[in-house]
Amino acid sequence: MLAAAGAAVSVLATGCKGVGGLGTRPRPRPDVAVLRAAIGTEQALIARYHSALATSPGLKGTLDPVLDQHLAHLAALRSRLIGATVAPRPGTSAGQAGTLGALADAEQAAAAALVSRLATASPSLAQLLASISASEASHAALLRMHGSTP
Amino acid sequence: MSEPAGVARGALQAVLAAVDAASYGYGVAGAHLPAAARAAAQRDWAELQVARDGLVSRLASRGVPAPAARDAYQLPFPVHSPATAVSLAGYLQNRLAGAYLGLVALDDPTLRAWGARQAQVCAVRATGWLGRTVAFPGLST
Repeated sequence: MLAAAGAAVSVLATGCKGVGGLGTRPRPRPDVAVLRAAIGTEQALIARYHSALATSPGLKGTLDPVLDQHLAHLAALRSRLIGATVAPRPGTSAGQAGTLGALADAEQAAAAALVSRLATASPSLAQLLASISASEASHAALLRMHGSTP
Repeated sequence: MSEPAGVARGALQAVLAAVDAASYGYGVAGAHLPAAARAAAQRDWAELQVARDGLVSRLASRGVPAPAARDAYQLPFPVHSPATAVSLAGYLQNRLAGAYLGLVALDDPTLRAWGARQAQVCAVRATGWLGRTVAFPGLST
C-alpha cells in the first residue's frame, strides 16, 4: 500500500514538470520581430499615401489601387500577430511629380528592406514577405510609369 | 535543422519548368505582338534564358542534371490577338513569380534572397505588360 502511494507521488512529481519535462523549451520565434518591422513599414507607407492623396487629390485614380494593396499587405501581416500595434512614422508630402517619385523611392526602399529580413523568417512568412516585396517593387515601377507620363 | 537536399532540388526544378513554360509562351505571344511590344517580349525572353542558365548551374552544383525543355506547353487561354498576347506575358510572369517564391521557403539564405529578387523582377515585368499591380504576386488569389 505504501509502495503504491510512493509510485503515485513519483508520477505526480513527473507530471508537475509540465512542458519542461518533454525537453528544452522552444525559443521565441524570430518571426515576431520581423513581423513588427514589416508592419511598421506598411503603416509608414500607408501614411505617405494618405498624405499624398490629401495634397494631390488628382492622383486618386493612380494611388487608390496601390493604397488598397498596402492595406491588404497590412491585414495579412497583422493576421499573423495578435495585438500588433506599431507606432507609424509620420509621412511626408511634396508636389505632385515629387510625390510620385518620392512614393516610388519609398516603395523601392520598403521592397529592399523586406528582402533583407527574409533570412530569419519562417518559410511561410518568408514567402509572404517576398510576395509583398515583389508587389512593392511593382508599385515603384507603376508610379514611375505614371510619373513619366505628362 | 535543415531540410533534405531533395527539397531544394525540387524547388529549383520547379522554377526551371516555369522558366521553360514562360519561354515557350513568349514565343507564342511574340507572334501576335506589334513590333515595339515584340521587342519588349524578346528582351524578357532573353532574360529568361539568363535565368535558365543560372538555374542549370545551381542544379549542376548539386549534382543534378537539368531536364530539357518540352516541345510545347499548355497555354492558360487561347492567344489570337495582341491583347491576349499581352495578357499571356503578364500571366506567365506572375506564374514565374510563384515558382520563385518556392525558393524563398528554403533554408538556404542565398536561394531565399535570389528567389525574392527574381520574384520582384517578375512582378515588375508583369506590371510593365498589364499596367497594373497586384497585392500578392505569385501567391494564388
